Amino acid sequence: MNIKLEKINDITLVSLIGELNMDNTNRVREAFKKILQEKKVKVLIDFHKVPFVDSSGIALLLEIVQNFAKANGRMCLCHVNKKIISVFEITKVHKMFNIFESHEDALRSF
Amino acid sequence: MTDVLIDENIPSTIHHVPVFIASVIGKLGRLHLDEDMLFDLKLCLHEAVVNAIRHGNNEKKELPVHVLVKKEKKEIIMEVTDQGKGFNFTRIPDPTTLENIGKLHGRGVYLIQSSMDSVKFLNGGRTIKMVKVQK
Repeated sequence: MNIKLEKINDITLVSLIGELNMDNTNRVREAFKKILQEKKVKVLIDFHKVPFVDSSGIALLLEIVQNFAKANGRMCLCHVNKKIISVFEITKVHKMFNIFESHEDALRSF
Repeated sequence: MTDVLIDENIPSTIHHVPVFIASVIGKLGRLHLDEDMLFDLKLCLHEAVVNAIRHGNNEKKELPVHVLVKKEKKEIIMEVTDQGKGFNFTRIPDPTTLENIGKLHGRGVYLIQSSMDSVKFLNGGRTIKMVKVQK
């Protein structure tokens, strides 16, 4: 899993590259903790290059969305592939995430 | 006719799981299954193996997890067996209820039951048998 960070105005764009699974959730968790510690509370996660998410990855996304909400911030997702969307829908966590088709739509929502 | 694709013991170490699953999916990929079915098989095998390592074998790497994957007619059958005490598979909480939706665990078995055509727990919960039928 590679994690690429970019700044767009006051929004942190986090591009994840690779599978989000139990083997790498700690690394991803640490990256988001650091973003919050820097008081950056608006974050957009680009899933374009994430082909697979397991239940640990789902749990991590829930943790991130809850942590950003507690800090009066917001987390959004974009470019999520249809199989991952269906996994979110099976577990109903799609209701907890702000999911957009494109960067532009997501950025406009902040 | 039964075509056994995988019949092996793997160590109880989480970081080996993605590579092992990738090798299984490589073999399943040769069966010309559609992408959605391959994704479901990958997800369910991954969840079952991780559960076996974490909750069954308590991540004791010397304890093996046995994985059997075979094809019988149009069925892909996957069995994962750990060395643990088993668990009460009749009382798996629904992670989609209002009470549980925000919890940070408890979705693995639910995902398996939702994505496969048949799921059975054998040996007091030490073995999970998952079947997906090729459409």
